[in-house]
Amino acid sequence: MDAYLQAGFEALGDATRMAIFQKLANGPMAVNELAGLLPVSRPAVSQHLRVLKHAGLVSDSKAGTRRIYQLNPEGMRLLRLHFDQVWDQAMSGFQAAVARASPQETSVGRASAATASSQSSKTKSPKKGEQHGKDSRRNRRS
Amino acid sequence: MAKTAEETVVRKSVRVQGSMERAFSIFVEQMETWWPPDHHIGKEAFQSIFVEPRVGGRWYERDAKGNECSWGHVLAWEPPQRVTFSWHLGPDWKFNPDLAKASEVEIRFTSHGPSSTLVELAHSKLERHGEGYEQLYTMLDGPDAWSRTLAEFASVADGSAKA
Repeated sequence: MDAYLQAGFEALGDATRMAIFQKLANGPMAVNELAGLLPVSRPAVSQHLRVLKHAGLVSDSKAGTRRIYQLNPEGMRLLRLHFDQVWDQAMSGFQAAVARASPQETSVGRASAATASSQSSKTKSPKKGEQHGKDSRRNRRS
Repeated sequence: MAKTAEETVVRKSVRVQGSMERAFSIFVEQMETWWPPDHHIGKEAFQSIFVEPRVGGRWYERDAKGNECSWGHVLAWEPPQRVTFSWHLGPDWKFNPDLAKASEVEIRFTSHGPSSTLVELAHSKLERHGEGYEQLYTMLDGPDAWSRTLAEFASVADGSAKA
């Protein structure tokens, strides 16, 4: 998890900032408008917006004399945050599963005598079009 | 416009014991043994996760009652070096059949010494899930999607400092 992503998480870890963020999800707004929708003062909203902006989650622009805030249009940081977390978990799980599967190298030809033994041989009909094809399992590699 | 391509990619790599064949096999044939159990898209927890071993094959989960939910399709099938999937699940864990809205997950397996394999994952084209505010909102507002993700993140971050 890089520091960049971590900043995003921390920024949203505060309930008020999360609320601001969600309001902005409905569209761009000025500080006044946000303050009117939330039980916090205008300066407090400004303060939170600074944190969100610093974390790259929102951006701002000038509209006349007002400053309008909006979500970072691409939302890429959040998406990366999300997928980074998913794969962190998944790949750790994978690594552990491989370690569990068999400590010594049994390798090739045979499917490893692994944890999935319960589902080995059942649905093994090599029927072509059937939608329940368990076809990626086992005996696939001979 | 997406900034640099790299900002739309998540990369992970792990080293595992054993041959490429073995790592590949566990990855695609025994996914339910290692995939985070919370991350299912069906209503019920999955019992199995399947990868049909060919280009165009389906990637899907099945629950104990036999209900299936698709995750994506096999785009490249080159055992034991490489497999690529289309990923049709937005951050809200909903399946979107539109290939133009799908990202791509590529996993490469490289022999690393006599008895270990380097497994490198790249989940790219993430910008395809990031259309405007609506989806972000769904993601943040979903049942408990985001708050739980935050909680999980916190525990992961506390527990380890993975690169």
